[in-house]
Amino acid sequence: MAFAWRASGLTYNRYLAVAARVVRRSLKEGPRLQAERRGEMELRFAKWENGKQGENKSLAQENASSMAEHASEGQK
Amino acid sequence: MNSLRAARAATRVRPSAIISSLQRRSYADAVSDKIKLSLALPHQSIYTSKDVVQVNIPAESGDMGVLANHVPSIEQLKPGLVEVIEESGGSKQFFLSGGFAIVQPGSQLSINAVEGYPLEDFNPDAVRSQISEAQKIAGGSGSEQDIAEAKIELEVLESLQASLK
Repeated sequence: MAFAWRASGLTYNRYLAVAARVVRRSLKEGPRLQAERRGEMELRFAKWENGKQGENKSLAQENASSMAEHASEGQK
Repeated sequence: MNSLRAARAATRVRPSAIISSLQRRSYADAVSDKIKLSLALPHQSIYTSKDVVQVNIPAESGDMGVLANHVPSIEQLKPGLVEVIEESGGSKQFFLSGGFAIVQPGSQLSINAVEGYPLEDFNPDAVRSQISEAQKIAGGSGSEQDIAEAKIELEVLESLQASLK
């Protein structure tokens, strides 16, 4: 099965996150406010080299740029 | 000669074998026309190994209805409507954001999704306004990834809108 989003470098994980986000935004006010908190992700990471902590980066931003890098080579 | 005797012996054995297999048919075998459904989200279990009659799922390979004794299989789900026909005869409908359905041997069905809500929890106005927003982004001049994400949103929203009608 060929998926168009694969060609843009998106992962299946990202596809599921986007689909889930739009489902949460379509809910009625009550359940929506509770559900939208589940979509938040603020993980940060740093690479340690030679005993020193590297730059502190946002995981979401790094994922997005890595997906852009891998665009059009996903479908092989 | 020996093999002939063995063959004759085999034919003689067969009727009694049929009878004994019929006698072994117990009450539990006779009522196994239900499928055990587990419908799980990361934050909630909607069904936990509950006996139901039929489950209709929107698989990527096509919509399908799963009954008891279905062939074991793994199906990727499209964002869409899952319909559960319960023992009482009533049916419940949930909109799932996409995931997997696994039919296991022994009439067990496990469905995993990220988000899933009953249809009455959705707001048709929010769906409509998001469709026009996503259409703008999909036809705009954003990055390739933004456009791809807007197209995913459109796929979900259009399926949701069709389910809400």
